Amino acid sequence: MAEAPFPTREPVDFVIVGSGAAGGIMAKELATAGFSVVVLEQGPHLQAPDFKHDEWGYDYNNELMWGKRHGHPQTFRRNENEEAQEVEFSLGYAHNVGGSSVHFSGNFWRLRPIDFMEASVRGTIPGTNFADWPISYEDLEPYYTKVDWEIGVSGLQGPWDPPRSRAYPCAPMPIKSPGVLLERAAEQLGYTAYPAPVAILSEPHNGRPGCIHCGFCNGYGCEVNAKSSSMVTMIPLALATGNCELRTGCTVSRVVTNEAGRVTEVNYWEEDGTEQSQRANAVVLCANGAETPRLLLLSESNLHPDGLANSSGMVGKNLMFNGYSTVMGLFENEVHAYKSIPADRVIHDFYELDPALGFYGGGGIDSRHPNRGLPMGTAMMGDPFGGPSWGAEFKQNLRRNFVYTAAFDGHTTSLPLATNNVTLDPNVRDKWGRPALRCTYMDHPDDIATMRFFYERTIELMEAAGATQTAGFYAEDGQTGNVHLLGTCRMGTNPDNSVIDANHRTHDVPNLFLCDGSSMVTSGRGQPTMTIMAMAFRAADQITQAARRGEI
Amino acid sequence: MLDRHHSRRAFLRAALQAAKGSCIALTIPAVLSACDQANEARKQQAAFTNLTEAEALAFAAIAARIMPSDETPGAEEAGVIYFMDTVLTDAEQLAFLRDGLTGLRQAAESAFGTSDFHLLPPQSQDQLLRAIEDGEFFGTMRFLTIAGMFCLPEYGGNRDNVGYQIIGFEDRHAWVPPFGSYDAERGGNI
Repeated sequence: MAEAPFPTREPVDFVIVGSGAAGGIMAKELATAGFSVVVLEQGPHLQAPDFKHDEWGYDYNNELMWGKRHGHPQTFRRNENEEAQEVEFSLGYAHNVGGSSVHFSGNFWRLRPIDFMEASVRGTIPGTNFADWPISYEDLEPYYTKVDWEIGVSGLQGPWDPPRSRAYPCAPMPIKSPGVLLERAAEQLGYTAYPAPVAILSEPHNGRPGCIHCGFCNGYGCEVNAKSSSMVTMIPLALATGNCELRTGCTVSRVVTNEAGRVTEVNYWEEDGTEQSQRANAVVLCANGAETPRLLLLSESNLHPDGLANSSGMVGKNLMFNGYSTVMGLFENEVHAYKSIPADRVIHDFYELDPALGFYGGGGIDSRHPNRGLPMGTAMMGDPFGGPSWGAEFKQNLRRNFVYTAAFDGHTTSLPLATNNVTLDPNVRDKWGRPALRCTYMDHPDDIATMRFFYERTIELMEAAGATQTAGFYAEDGQTGNVHLLGTCRMGTNPDNSVIDANHRTHDVPNLFLCDGSSMVTSGRGQPTMTIMAMAFRAADQITQAARRGEI
Repeated sequence: MLDRHHSRRAFLRAALQAAKGSCIALTIPAVLSACDQANEARKQQAAFTNLTEAEALAFAAIAARIMPSDETPGAEEAGVIYFMDTVLTDAEQLAFLRDGLTGLRQAAESAFGTSDFHLLPPQSQDQLLRAIEDGEFFGTMRFLTIAGMFCLPEYGGNRDNVGYQIIGFEDRHAWVPPFGSYDAERGGNI
């Protein structure tokens, strides 16, 4: 077989669009299996030496998360009757090799058995597309464990955690003061706080070093390669096979199909605008829960008038963000929450809320650093405890608000709704002339009730922890954006109401596969990246077997 | 159940502050090239590249009320005005701030008989700023002041890390446990 680099006019076995949490794994697995693979990534290949503690650059100039000012505007609206307004971005993700696995917080919860069959156990919910997954926790468990060991995960099995076939490869991360405070509060109130699992190495693993606790995880790239992104764990292995070519700065415009309804090639622009097209025997889209459906919608044709692989009409629908709430507490002694990892202890006593509450939901609570432990972010926010937002008193309170505070956050379920979706904006275009991503989103009343429930529990926990003052927030009026982009090309057995089958093959196009947050049927309780990575290992396994059987 | 010390309203009001003024934003290559230009210009004795001397005096005076110098350093010691001068490269953004400044000068003139905001005593400056604190001009000045106070020094502000010092942040690359007093008190990990 030819070795990379591959000519564009000869078909490679697979083109993979996107090199993030799913794409990186897909590339490594398929290339290792001996297939020729071209990965198209729209961002650059940044590496550890490129990353800095640069809050102004990352948080205020979106160096990693491109938006409007980088030529990638998005639009947002609450419902289909509104005209969407242009925003910097609503559907947030990082544009670089490794995608958002580079800048994410590293929180790494598995789903639990209930997540895959909740509609059967709990009952369907009228007006929603709440459904069971076509796979079970048992189907995914070997791949969760594969993720643990191949990329490196630190943690300790908790009392009600789902069963695992092998222990965590790395010991839990050291506890921080917010975790101690959450533990104390949990003990008083009868809950259990235990080490939060993270895709950050507590000790050397697979040739990478342990974390040095610099504190810049959430929104930042790891400067020592201790965060287990697909950029540092998978991409190097994929490239080392000699079967994988990574093309960066390449933005895909269209997946091309022939009259037989099969994918033949992928059109894309190089960074300088040069048009290219790579022929392929099969294509795997791992472009994330916003860009995967967008690309399918952009790839309409006579045979696929409503978008590629969209005979169900489900492409782009059922967008789920996960709910969020946060409560900050002020303590008497120094907390220094800014040091080390974002979340160190977790409470899962509320994984499934009692239906008697009158709404569906569930989630987890973790101990955090307020304002992600960032000095500029802490100061940009006025005083959450009610003081002035400028002047001498404001300045004096900054130290208190930065050094003496901890946060407890709620991470919760989102219901799948047809009315929450990703579509093509009819008016706004990006720098390539493509219709911009349009997000339409309003949290279901049960999702808001769930956020409120968690918000109230975290206030109680803060008080039990001994906070002298607390302040906080939940999205009472609904969220307007998120970085969890889930459900938009859902998996299912019925081609009438799902986009891909249980093995990630689109129901409509036999040689087109999708794997990323869009594949998820339900939202889980937050922290979806572990599940996206496990799905990618499983999908790669299924695709490899199908290819070897000549069934692609 | 909401305890009397708990505040959602204050939190939301505080969060709203964070959203103001974010119209000032550049891509990083643009900022870094602006930094280079500013450094070059300063070498050639030009005090400011994008602001006039008069604008710089006024903006620096506003910044000094947002983050005053008292027992601890403020915007002046951090060199916030140089950060502002560096990042204000966009003509439209600059025009907006010039309009805002004109309004502030008029208010100073009618209240205190002088348009030189920077020469007014702090109490008078605060009085004028309080009158416009909910507006976009002040929001943008606040945004720039805080950004200049807490940015990496290479962007022109946060000189000698004075911003980090006042907030209690130590920009280290490595820490070892214990990180804070509660984990120190607790001892080991498990």
